[in-house]
Amino acid sequence: MLTVEHASVHYPVKDGAALQALDDVSLTIGEGEFVVLVGASGCGKTTLLSAIAGFQKLTGGSIRLDGAEIRGPGRDRGVVFQKDNLLPWANAADNVAFGLKLQGMGRRARRERARELLSQVGLDGFAETPPHALSGGMRQRVGLARALATEPKILLMDEPLGALDGMTRETMQELIARVLAGTKKRILFITHSTEEALFLGTSILVMSPRPGRIAGRFESRYIHSFLDGRDAASIKSDPGFVETRKAIRELVRANGPS
Amino acid sequence: MKSARLVSLATVVLLLLGWEAVSELEWLSPMFLPSPSRVLHQFVVLSRDGYAGATLWEHAGTSLLRILCGFAVAASAAIPIGLLMGTNRWIKGALDPVIEFYWPLPPLAYLPLMIIWIGIDEAAKVTLLGMAMFAPICLAAQAGVRSVPIERIHAAQSLGASRRQLFFYILLPSALPEIMTGIRISIGTGWATLVAAELIAATEGIGFMIMSAANFLATDIVFAGIITIAVCALASAAAARWAERLLVPWKGKS
Repeated sequence: MLTVEHASVHYPVKDGAALQALDDVSLTIGEGEFVVLVGASGCGKTTLLSAIAGFQKLTGGSIRLDGAEIRGPGRDRGVVFQKDNLLPWANAADNVAFGLKLQGMGRRARRERARELLSQVGLDGFAETPPHALSGGMRQRVGLARALATEPKILLMDEPLGALDGMTRETMQELIARVLAGTKKRILFITHSTEEALFLGTSILVMSPRPGRIAGRFESRYIHSFLDGRDAASIKSDPGFVETRKAIRELVRANGPS
Repeated sequence: MKSARLVSLATVVLLLLGWEAVSELEWLSPMFLPSPSRVLHQFVVLSRDGYAGATLWEHAGTSLLRILCGFAVAASAAIPIGLLMGTNRWIKGALDPVIEFYWPLPPLAYLPLMIIWIGIDEAAKVTLLGMAMFAPICLAAQAGVRSVPIERIHAAQSLGASRRQLFFYILLPSALPEIMTGIRISIGTGWATLVAAELIAATEGIGFMIMSAANFLATDIVFAGIITIAVCALASAAAARWAERLLVPWKGKS
């Protein structure tokens, strides 16, 4: 269980004032939960994710993962970034295997594991390809495989599909749903797209800006119906889906400009 | 691109023709400006009979060896020091004043100190070259560390990188493109400092040959020496670019 309790972050700004980036946020993410954070730009979504990842120190409250307090970055929390952050000097397989190399796994074993993971994200035959020769969607697949390689307890995804074009984005949503369903991982996912949020998330949290706090919560089971075989396009045009999506969007709008 | 090359070629040809014409018409005494053909002839003589007991090749080889030694000394100190200065602000704070003080100084200015402190043997020449070649690499390594995107560091930390792993697997390769740029500049600085270094009691080397020939007003040998340095500098710049493509093929592609 990931437990965020009364988490606050404020940055000191000029004249002793402080900018409240995150204010008293509490949430939990349990086994198999896919939590999606939506909200206007600057509402503190990324601050919250960074705090869970350990990049950002809290000024109040606490974050625990399976009881242990989070004090810094660590490999129990995998991160997928909007900008893929692949190592430009390493090919796709070596990028995927980077975390395994850090753990001291032998070269052959980690190459083999990297190939398996690349195959899982649909990149068979791209093991030797350098990042600059991959498309944006492919690079994000490598980033996802890299985060999965070290078998983290939770996966933190900061707008991983934000920079992709519409078609690629939809394909990637389906890939993420399928790949992650198999791993039964806990997931925290940030997006600007309410459609993406409702399609992927089991819980959708709407954040409000300045100070960043949670303004509303929606539950969804559409990812399960997708995994049970229902077509993504039919899910997204389902009247219930459209209705809920509208409600989420209104809540996001009501809480700051989008 | 192609037309730019043609213009460059035309410039060189025009300069050579102008030079030949000026000396052919004897506007200037050959002592001021020897004709290109005379310089060319001098190249033949120098490579066959040599100057001051060594052929042109031996002079060039000696100079090249000194620059390579100076480079080895400079790079093996500048890369770790620069990386440390880039990662640790205490080390940067401690070393900044020293480096900022000495690196803009012309090597000719601290040349006498080199002689007094180290003497007049090879070590003094190599030290002088090394000092001149140190700063560009050190500054480039620092800039290289500063250019590492924070997110790349975060990504590695999330995969469990220790401080040591972060340094060797992330910072060093990330700084490598900048370091290679520094190395290219430093090699240019090496050739630019050569004549100064060979003012220190040298009996061989292109810089020595130039200064010695100038004492006898052997302008054609001076020209031959200058052209040799230019060609060597061009060749080593090309070698450095080749090494760069080999070592950092991802440069400018990420």
